Amino acid sequence: MTANTLSSAPVLQLDRLTRRRAGRRAVESLNLQLQRGQVLGLLGVNGAGKSTTLSMIAGALRPDSGSIQLNGKDFLEYPELASRLIGWLPERAPLWPELTVCEHLDAHGRLRGFKAKALRDARTAIIERLELQPLAHRLAGVLSQGQRQRLGLACALLHRPALLVLDEPANALDPVQVAALRSVIREQAASGTAVILSTHLLTEVTAVCDRVAILHEGSLRHDGLVLGDDHAALERTFFDIAMHGNASTARAA
Amino acid sequence: MSSFGMNTSAVARLEWRRLIVRPLAWVLAAVTLAWLAWNFTLLMGAFLASQMQRAALPDSPGFTDLVAVPLLAQLVQLGFLVVPLLTMSVIAGERRNGTLPLLFAAGVTASRIVLGKYLAVLGWLLLWLLLTLAMPLALAHLTNLDWGKLAAATLGLVLMLASLASLGIACSAFASHPAIAAAAALVITLALWSVNLGAQMAGINGGTINWLAMSSHLQPMLHGLVSTTDIVWFVLLIVVSLTLATRRLSAERERG
Repeated sequence: MTANTLSSAPVLQLDRLTRRRAGRRAVESLNLQLQRGQVLGLLGVNGAGKSTTLSMIAGALRPDSGSIQLNGKDFLEYPELASRLIGWLPERAPLWPELTVCEHLDAHGRLRGFKAKALRDARTAIIERLELQPLAHRLAGVLSQGQRQRLGLACALLHRPALLVLDEPANALDPVQVAALRSVIREQAASGTAVILSTHLLTEVTAVCDRVAILHEGSLRHDGLVLGDDHAALERTFFDIAMHGNASTARAA
Repeated sequence: MSSFGMNTSAVARLEWRRLIVRPLAWVLAAVTLAWLAWNFTLLMGAFLASQMQRAALPDSPGFTDLVAVPLLAQLVQLGFLVVPLLTMSVIAGERRNGTLPLLFAAGVTASRIVLGKYLAVLGWLLLWLLLTLAMPLALAHLTNLDWGKLAAATLGLVLMLASLASLGIACSAFASHPAIAAAAALVITLALWSVNLGAQMAGINGGTINWLAMSSHLQPMLHGLVSTTDIVWFVLLIVVSLTLATRRLSAERERG
């Protein structure tokens, strides 16, 4: 199934998602919905529960309670949905250092059940799109942090997921690479892919997101549209929540 | 191919690729095969030197007893060290790289991860065994090989290597660092091998303690005796080890 699959159900629906980590509630009763083509910015200070939430959505971590629906299907009941519907770029793009860029893409494709020809085509397309040609036969262990992020993004996009989950993707990218990343996110959204972008950078949210959700101490404190590029309003909301735990400003913009 | 088979084969291919591009696997293969080749020439030398004496004896041991089986016995000893080194990073290394969650996120279950990795390691070990077997087999047309005895010894070796691989993978699943996994696998293997040493020295040749020892199940096969009990012992060890590794990975996914 690709991003272009038509479905009336939201791509992602979280219902009272809860998860404890290290003896405390990392995520608590989180409700969230995401439609096709939407780009959601997930903000929060360190330890707010962003990465835990994204790990659960990506299928790498099981929630203690609550449900995750992907295209209307219970993800916890059908964990194999992850391989078709979700592309995940975790923070600091974990890679196998002994494999080349091409071998990474091949491994991800095979794990997702690609046949040889489809894998070759998808690999060629994503290498071209993310301009990875000069790195294609380089070992992942010798890539710079920015190049690692690009390879991680390529692996996440290889199977044209319906939901793209990006955890701090702009970390370690230079301004040119950040601009390229924004263009990829917009392109994905335009083709119908729903995107969740976790970031510390408010500018990233105003630049590419339609919606912003702010987490604080594991619970959702704000969920609103990003209107225009009113960076100041978003900043006020974010700092209100970060300092006082709630937003005095009703909307991000 | 079913999704189980597809996922498992994808993990096996990934692990195989990681194994063969790592220098450790090549160094282990080169050093051990050179050692075995050297021992093969020594065994051959001794075999040829004693040919006249053996000719005078009825039912004297032949090429299989004096060269092929002792060579395979050397492989057993090398396996104690080689298998833990080969398996130490299989899961502990993934954990340190942070790549384990990527496999979970690709919809691969813990059992498929463990099985895929196990098959890749087993492939390497079988290739290692095959290259060792090639030495005596190269002289098969010049000597009288006891094919039945060699087949029994080979089966014993396959079962032993498969058991050591499963133990190594279980240790790698439980250890936080590859070196700890290797040390744990080595200690457990040696303990399993020699758990009946005290009983043997006291002249006790039966009982649970002897049943527990790996040596008492491998030695008969190296001497050409295959029994269901011995095969079941190895299969049980493999199943228990892989199940423990799978449960550990599943718990890790739950716990995060």
